[in-house]
Amino acid sequence: MDRRNFLKTAGVACAAATGARSARAQEHDTDPEEFVGVLVDTTRCIGCRSCEIGCALAHNLPVPDVQDDGALEAVRTTSETSWTVVNRFETDSGEVFVKKQCMHCWQPACTAACLTNAMAKTARGPVTWDGDKCMGCRFCMVSCPFDIPKFEYDEWNPRIQKCNLCNERLERGEKPACVASCPTDALMFGTKRELMEIARTRIYAHPERYVHQIYGEFEAGGTGWLYLSAVPFEQIGFRTDLGVTPYPEYTRDFLYAVPVVFFGMPALLYGLNLLAARTEAVRGAPNGAEHVPSPENPSTSE
Amino acid sequence: MAEASTGVSGGRLRFILSEMKPRGRWLTPFNVISIPVIIVGLVILWFRFTQGLGSVTNLSQAFPWGFWIGFDVVTGVAFAGGAYVITFVVYVMKEEKYRPIVRVTVLNGFLAYLFYAGALVLDLGRPWHIVNPIIGNSFGYNSVLFLVAWHFLLYMIAEAIEFSPAVAEWLGARKARRLLHAMTLAAVIFGITLSMLHQSGLGALFLLAKAKIHPLWYTEFIPILFFVSSIFAGLSMIIFEGTISEKVLKEYLGDKAGGHDNLVFGLAKGAAIAMFVYYFFKLLVFLHEGHWSELDTPWGWWFLVEVLGLVLLPCILYAFGARHRSLGIIKVAAVLTLIGIVVNRLNISVIAFNWQAPVHYIPSWQEIVVTLMIIFLEIWVFRWVVTRMPVYPGTNNRPAPAIDSD
Amino acid sequence: METYTYVNIFETKGLEYLLLICFLVLFIFFVRYLNAADKPS
Ligand code: SF4
Ligand code: SF4
Repeated sequence: MDRRNFLKTAGVACAAATGARSARAQEHDTDPEEFVGVLVDTTRCIGCRSCEIGCALAHNLPVPDVQDDGALEAVRTTSETSWTVVNRFETDSGEVFVKKQCMHCWQPACTAACLTNAMAKTARGPVTWDGDKCMGCRFCMVSCPFDIPKFEYDEWNPRIQKCNLCNERLERGEKPACVASCPTDALMFGTKRELMEIARTRIYAHPERYVHQIYGEFEAGGTGWLYLSAVPFEQIGFRTDLGVTPYPEYTRDFLYAVPVVFFGMPALLYGLNLLAARTEAVRGAPNGAEHVPSPENPSTSE
Repeated sequence: MAEASTGVSGGRLRFILSEMKPRGRWLTPFNVISIPVIIVGLVILWFRFTQGLGSVTNLSQAFPWGFWIGFDVVTGVAFAGGAYVITFVVYVMKEEKYRPIVRVTVLNGFLAYLFYAGALVLDLGRPWHIVNPIIGNSFGYNSVLFLVAWHFLLYMIAEAIEFSPAVAEWLGARKARRLLHAMTLAAVIFGITLSMLHQSGLGALFLLAKAKIHPLWYTEFIPILFFVSSIFAGLSMIIFEGTISEKVLKEYLGDKAGGHDNLVFGLAKGAAIAMFVYYFFKLLVFLHEGHWSELDTPWGWWFLVEVLGLVLLPCILYAFGARHRSLGIIKVAAVLTLIGIVVNRLNISVIAFNWQAPVHYIPSWQEIVVTLMIIFLEIWVFRWVVTRMPVYPGTNNRPAPAIDSD
Repeated sequence: METYTYVNIFETKGLEYLLLICFLVLFIFFVRYLNAADKPS
């Protein structure tokens, strides 16, 4: 993510956090490059799994058989053949269905991990994968806090598989396939600013219907996908211990230290070397040169 | 090594070819064990490259990194830390006492990087794209792994330069030797800086796995812990390896491979101090994170085994051994330390990684055979080099051909 | 949710400084113990 976007994101996050509608935030409203995302209202999801079908069709993945409710028995994760899955949770307030896919983090761990830029955050928000660059190190899988990227372990030329927010459709001006195929408005596509406003409005209007938290507002630094729920998020398969720090921040100090060490260490080491040479000369060693002849020492035997 | 190909007059080429021939007995126990392992390993690799990683490894979506990364790369590189410590002591601090073991340590370090860090290639899903972050069509500067990959590459070059005078001597290339020798100090300084950064960088990789590593092991200090522990890991490896080669290489080199008892006490002292500091680092991190309640869980006991049994105990043994001049105790300490490093590196990369997962990763036998294959191959090359090039003091074990073409 | 409550990240600093003092004292003893072997007895 470039600096401009970062500042913008920070601005959005601040504005969103305080609910302030400053003039500065206003002027972004028309910015075509503002990050987009999807709002999932789990109270509206009926578990029909149309989004799974839409996703599979849009990306040439095996189409799931949604008549078979057996698939909902166990909690599933996304896999190398399904970029999104809908899970069913039994909770205090009945059955809840939750769609799972890449969260399209604001500052993704996976792109910070990728050493080839195969995983990249596009200017609009989708996090995409490029097979011409990826070397299959799987560091993105290690670092993603939501365990999203999946790897084709049984291919000689494996790919990383994960939701790309239908980047190709967005470029044509269409909505993501899952959003387009959702019959109940459980999924809503838009910029994060708009989606946050809608989500908050729903909580204000029906405070008894929702827990007063929007998952994805701050989690792991904020994500593109946002969730509303009637029950605490722990009960429907979300990790609530991820913290609010964007993941790239965890390696920032180390990466800054690298040039610093490179500025300092060679000079320090050279200085120590000179000092050692002087000490030796003072001690009256045979000579202060780099290289003391001794019968033991083969490197002086020429 | 460049000299071998550039300055080739017929004589030198013939010399190199003659040196390729094996020496010594063939049916040694080592050969009997290693040759079948290497053959099986190659077969496994054939499956790995034609049918995917899943066909031979137990890696899964929840455990993307297994034994090949956790042991071969992360642990192997820590063990190779001895090279930068010893070159620091000898070339920078001019502590001539340790000069006799410089070459063998640098050689060990170089080969360790070549083979163990090289094992990374086996683990890559799309290894043909490994050049991408190097030739620059897609620099992922933002990645710690990018940094580590570059540092591996540069450090291998630095170590090759550090070792190259021995190659030049072997080939009898005097002028080249002088030139390479003059580059040594620069290569050493560059190499130490690189080592600091990639030893800690290997730890920094796991900073991004905050959500997955058990809280007793995850800390923002992982890079510093990795760096400090690589110092005593390297020193222990030198002691351990010295003990082995003393016994094994007798056949080829007589007593010359051994006989550095006196150095061992100095190394032990260094290791003791580094471990003492490391132990307090661990305590500090533990206090800072304050996961007291975790201590009385199976994970906590395992943590205590690592910190008390495999850091504090060998630290005390090293100190005791150095003070009372007991080689036996020092050897025990070295072995315990090495086990401790394996346990620590595997804890962070594999064992305490995704500790909440319902099914935990356990390496498959194929992964272990391939790892053994890599170790054996490294030992083969090591043996080939030390029996031909002047690696140990006083073993200029053949006359150089009487040519000097450069 | 850490965004809505006070989090003190320096809670353990006092303990850490105590540990530091212990370390320095122990380190002196440790080094003296190690170096005792070098002295002619
Ligand atoms: S959820 Fe994971 S894969 Fe998706 S953007 Fe975030 S870090 Fe990357
Ligand atoms: S597996 Fe591919 S996409 Fe993932 S971090 Fe490695 S190079 Fe990047």
